[in-house]
Amino acid sequence: MRMVINHKEESCMLNGRLKCLWLTFAVVIEVFLLTVSGPALGETAVLQIPLNPDYAFPNKDTPHGLEVNSAPLVENASAWNGRTIAFKGEAIGEAMVRGKMAWIHLNDDAYMWKNIEEGAQLGGYNSGHAVWISADLAMKIRYFGDFKHEGDVVNIVGTFHAACPQHGGDMDIHASTLDIVRVGHPVREAFNTSRAIMALFLLAVAFALHRLRAIIRRRHAF
Amino acid sequence: MIVRPRWADFKIIGLYTGKVIIGVGLLMVIPLATSLLFREWNPAIDLLLGIGACLVFGLGLEVLCQTSRDMAWGHGLVVVSFSWFMATILGAIPHYLSGHFGSYLDAMFDVMSGYTTTGLYLLQDLDHVSHGLNMWRHVLTFAGGQGIVVVALTFLFQGTAGAYKIYVGEGKDERLLPNVIQTARVIWLVSLAYLVVGTLFLWIVGMWLGQGPVKALLHGVWIFMSSWSTGGFAPQSYNTIYYHSLLYEVVTIPIFVIGSFNFALHWAVWAGEKKEIYRNIEIISFFTTVAIAMLLAMAGLMKLNVYPDVISLFRKAFYQVASAHTTTGLGTIYSRTFVRQWGTMAMLGIILAMAIGASACSTGGGFKGIRMGIIFKGVIQDVRRLISPESARIVEKWHHLSTRLLDDATVRMAMLIVLSYVGIYALGTVVGVYYGYDLVEAMFDAVSAGSNTGLSCGVVSPTMPTLMKVVYLFEMWAGRLEFMSLFALAGYLVALFRGR
Repeated sequence: MRMVINHKEESCMLNGRLKCLWLTFAVVIEVFLLTVSGPALGETAVLQIPLNPDYAFPNKDTPHGLEVNSAPLVENASAWNGRTIAFKGEAIGEAMVRGKMAWIHLNDDAYMWKNIEEGAQLGGYNSGHAVWISADLAMKIRYFGDFKHEGDVVNIVGTFHAACPQHGGDMDIHASTLDIVRVGHPVREAFNTSRAIMALFLLAVAFALHRLRAIIRRRHAF
Repeated sequence: MIVRPRWADFKIIGLYTGKVIIGVGLLMVIPLATSLLFREWNPAIDLLLGIGACLVFGLGLEVLCQTSRDMAWGHGLVVVSFSWFMATILGAIPHYLSGHFGSYLDAMFDVMSGYTTTGLYLLQDLDHVSHGLNMWRHVLTFAGGQGIVVVALTFLFQGTAGAYKIYVGEGKDERLLPNVIQTARVIWLVSLAYLVVGTLFLWIVGMWLGQGPVKALLHGVWIFMSSWSTGGFAPQSYNTIYYHSLLYEVVTIPIFVIGSFNFALHWAVWAGEKKEIYRNIEIISFFTTVAIAMLLAMAGLMKLNVYPDVISLFRKAFYQVASAHTTTGLGTIYSRTFVRQWGTMAMLGIILAMAIGASACSTGGGFKGIRMGIIFKGVIQDVRRLISPESARIVEKWHHLSTRLLDDATVRMAMLIVLSYVGIYALGTVVGVYYGYDLVEAMFDAVSAGSNTGLSCGVVSPTMPTLMKVVYLFEMWAGRLEFMSLFALAGYLVALFRGR
């Protein structure tokens, strides 16, 4: 009996070791790929492969840089990488201050000037860019867009990074200036009375059904 | 001979569907409280309307369909597929009334995506959505992860008769405790315990990253719900990019990896069987296939030299692969970045990870690790049979909570489900290609929908053709319920017309 138990334990340990070996093998392969064969795999590549070589840059030149919106930046990130750009959008969410710098997010979508709560037409998903900016400049923004607010529309000038080396490969803009184009405002919510009456009616019907169910259940019990 | 369902059968289905829909209505109380707390009056009214509609429908069914007959297996499966469908229609009321959707179908798409923990969405102007609606989106995905039937089982079922039959219909067949209602409660206990701890972590990290305390708490709750349920929704359109933080990524990865593990494994570890983590076939399968997907993704990214250094490369690749493999769908890159920067090779790595997916009896979707492990062992067994003498008896074992002998029936069942998944992936891909999308892009989003992942390379959008929305919706539904419930519903519909 003792021998059987020992044998089982041994086989279990051996099984565990095999699995550890297998996992180690997988990790070693990845490290190998990273350190040894990495250059070989990448040797035919140029820095940031230009996936769209025919891309034509827009002509909207401002005194500080090319004016561009978010879609071409994502679609042609490698072409725009390292360029100084001017970008305009609605500040949304909040400024996340990190020391002397801050992250803000600017949306240049269909809701930049007016959002759905204010009666804007549906115009697709949100789109915009993350901006790394000095905290002092970020503090100039009074309103950030959310359900209750239409955010400030701001113009920033900065350098676009397709894969920022400072921020773990994030696509971002490092801005040096920020100007308020339009100050945001709180959104006024008009109370929808007809829907409120409808909701109360449904709840009243539900209550009546709840009572009726109790009566039927009692009858079933007998 | 096909037997036509009788009124008594419909009464059973109606009674239990009613209970599940009441459960969905009661879930809306959480976002309603959120809306009232933040003085969002119109979203609160929309949610009240949703609650009212669910209660009227659910209670109405209970009144009409009172019966004391026992439930059969077929009833259980039909209850699940039908109640998921009705819960989608009724759960979409607050979504649609918010005005952020182009059509009721779009709102249903988002609700199905939530229940099935997919994370694809058609909601427009997410960055201006109310806290109440955001809470509803995330509660949907959290409840959907555990299973909305599990919600109903936990709170609304008194007897155990028939409960196991609808529990199984929702793609779960592990009984952690002898009583299935106790099992459902244990699933909630485990999830709520993690919810408290995970939210606390994310709240602290959020504040440390510069968010205000209230926003950090809300984001913490939502991102936890999304991660744990392997959902993929996020409160901002930037998804996880919004936080620009390695720390946030480091906290979310364990949440969705643990969330993607089998509930039975969680319970075994809670009960003190820690060795199970190293021995379980799903865990071994998961780490092996993650390594393969990482190899593909990193090879593709290195070839294109997308990232400036190895750390960035590994960080981006690992987050997307882990998110894809656990079928979470949170992302730290823009959707179109997959196409415009990552390229086909890396996308194939992500597609592979999404297709395989998480563990069985978890919040995730896809083929599931257990089936990959079983099929792999089945292949090994067959190869060993081929090279051994005819008289040799080849035995292959697999371990999931207990060690079992591998038999042909188990392999065949695993293959059947995997082939069904391949079928829905192919369906979505073909429809995408028909509408003019690139093959790899169409495949990426089709696999994402079918495996309930939620990553997108830009195919899913409010402007995509209606048929594609319907096909993706079907993929999410079928993938989450693992087909059997849908086959049963289809069988019922056929029997209605052709049965005797």
